[in-house]
Amino acid sequence: MKHVKIREKQSNAFLVAVSAVVLGLVAGAILMASIGSNPFTGFWFLFRGGLMNIERVGNTMATATTLMLVGLSVAFAFKTGLFNIGASGQMLIGGLCATLVAHYVFLPRPLYLIVLILAALLGGALWGVIPGFLKAKFNVHEVVATIMMNWIAYWSIYYFIPAYLKGPSLETESASIAVTQSLRTPWLTKLFNGSYMNLGFFIAIISVIVIKLILDKTTLGFSLKAVGSNRHCAEYAGIKVNRNVVISMMIAGGLAGLAGLSFYTGYSRNMQIGVMPAQGFDGIAVALLGASSPLGVLFSSLFFGILQSGKGFMNAMTSVPPEIADTIIAVIIYFTATSVLFKRFWDAVLKRQGDKAKKKEESAQAEVKKEGE
Amino acid sequence: MKKLTVALCIFLLLGTVVFAQGSAEGAAKKSNLRVGMVTDAGTIDDKSFNQGTWEGILRASKDYALDVKYLKPAGTTEADYLKEIGNLVDAGYNFIICPGFKFETAIFEAQDKYPKVKFVILDGEPHSADYSVFRIEPNVAAVYWAENESGFLAGFAAALQVKEGDFGFVGGMEIPAVQKFNWGFQQGVKYANEKFGTKIVMKQENNLYQGTFDNVSAGQQIAASMYDRGVDVIFAAAGGVGVGVINEAKNRAAAGKNVWVIGVDVDQYPEGLMPNGKSIILTSAMKYLDRASYDMIEAELNGTFPGGQVLRFTAENDGLGIPATNPNLAKSVTDEVAKVFAQMKSGAIKVAAVGDGLFK
Repeated sequence: MKHVKIREKQSNAFLVAVSAVVLGLVAGAILMASIGSNPFTGFWFLFRGGLMNIERVGNTMATATTLMLVGLSVAFAFKTGLFNIGASGQMLIGGLCATLVAHYVFLPRPLYLIVLILAALLGGALWGVIPGFLKAKFNVHEVVATIMMNWIAYWSIYYFIPAYLKGPSLETESASIAVTQSLRTPWLTKLFNGSYMNLGFFIAIISVIVIKLILDKTTLGFSLKAVGSNRHCAEYAGIKVNRNVVISMMIAGGLAGLAGLSFYTGYSRNMQIGVMPAQGFDGIAVALLGASSPLGVLFSSLFFGILQSGKGFMNAMTSVPPEIADTIIAVIIYFTATSVLFKRFWDAVLKRQGDKAKKKEESAQAEVKKEGE
Repeated sequence: MKKLTVALCIFLLLGTVVFAQGSAEGAAKKSNLRVGMVTDAGTIDDKSFNQGTWEGILRASKDYALDVKYLKPAGTTEADYLKEIGNLVDAGYNFIICPGFKFETAIFEAQDKYPKVKFVILDGEPHSADYSVFRIEPNVAAVYWAENESGFLAGFAAALQVKEGDFGFVGGMEIPAVQKFNWGFQQGVKYANEKFGTKIVMKQENNLYQGTFDNVSAGQQIAASMYDRGVDVIFAAAGGVGVGVINEAKNRAAAGKNVWVIGVDVDQYPEGLMPNGKSIILTSAMKYLDRASYDMIEAELNGTFPGGQVLRFTAENDGLGIPATNPNLAKSVTDEVAKVFAQMKSGAIKVAAVGDGLFK
């Protein structure tokens, strides 16, 4: 008689994410239906708006770039058990450093790009390392510290832009960066038919790969994850918890700084005062939907990129007012951000199926036994 | 699993029901002109720039049975604006109105990118991002207002009404349109003092720019400290910041204080209404935004679209002024304002558009 071993099935991240997205879209559809619009055409135009032609694909990718880097930043901090809610501030400082470089440093293109990237990386890392240090040294909660750092960045920009980077006539935004000093390149702009697609996308892709390697293949990654899954256990195992917290926040900050780079020198080419970049918070949803894994973040940011750049076209083609469109996007984000619920749901479903199968197996075995007698 | 299937079926049914409603969306329209608008910072019901422009568009759509639509960009960068302009163009809108100087660089790009689409920019004219090139193509009309004249009229009216007191100014961002309101306002008050013997005082400390158009609480704080310093009337040319000023004035008026606000861009009288039915809005320095968008649409329909031109809406062409009805102004005051307005029209009164010898 053969014994079949039934493995306990666990829901995987992909299933969870897909069901969250589907339910989010359904909720959005119900909302659309309730204001008297046809959800099918609504979603049709939403996705066409993001992907209809090569220019729109480029815009979607440019929008996704920033989200990808912020999502990666948040996901990386998550892995160490930290909640980096300060990506907005890190973006601002990273963007500010990059903007300064763009206005004042003139070098051959390849060298210039390296300096530009390093500037943004360092700026963001600085804004990340401070809360990390406070957490490690004084156990100041990183949520509080990073939110406060957001506002310090916000008001620093408020002072800095008019004082040093002022445009020719406007007090409220920095002078526009020349295309040759930005992340945009003629061949990419041409390839994507005049879209905002820029080199930031490649920076984001490389970052995804690097972070994946760090997390999966290095001792540093192992100890970061160990701290994340159980701080005390990690400490007991001889891992320097505090050092890891600081390093984690530093890298997370650097990633958000790169997001600032892609946004302020690639997508928009100038910085405005009095604007807290919303991407810093959207990135949290990106990380949650991507189950805090680098590849997950890659795909979820592309999804959010489609939503955000397709939204306007949906507005233009249907009678869904812009405010409702924002609500629909928010509903989808809400469902995706609560993907933990779907994980529980699928775990329960799979467990029940597993139990059923087990019972069947047992009864079958009992019958076999009976027959044997 | 069965339950899930049932739920799905119900949902699909719901979908088809709604489909039937949805198909009624596109009603037949007469003209093939489709008018789109991209909003500036703030919402469509901002009681100011966006709303004023949109009301004009709606009026035109009623009179000429046009298809109209507004889109709200995600941010206020050139990329955000161009994206929404692209959305409107791809959706078949061929006449796009953009309210605000912030659209200048976006329109500069869009005029070449979409040569078949007509654009109207309010409060600005297209130029390159580094201000090196100013160029306006035949598919673009740019509209400016002489805010200084509007500010003059409001300042003059308020001075005549109050006769004796202390006036202050709260601006939003320090941009030309707001500065011109400020400078015109000061000239208007001075004119009343010199020619009509009013005793209005203005001090540098009561003349400032908050720096944004949306910080309501900052507006309230600034207004509070001005009123504490003895200011009686504040001219708020500051969007959302002005809403804060109005709120503070309402609080004080409710507590029995005699304070006033002068509104901006549109007739803000309804914004200043209190439960007792009175409004703390003395008068408003208006730019006839709705008239601009309406006139431009009308011109296009008549085939007289002023493409490639930079237009100025002034007192001379009735493009600005104080509201038609001012319940808080005496009849004698509005009569005098009408006289001054006529003199402005004829050129007898000239209002400087620069701040020489004035605060800021």
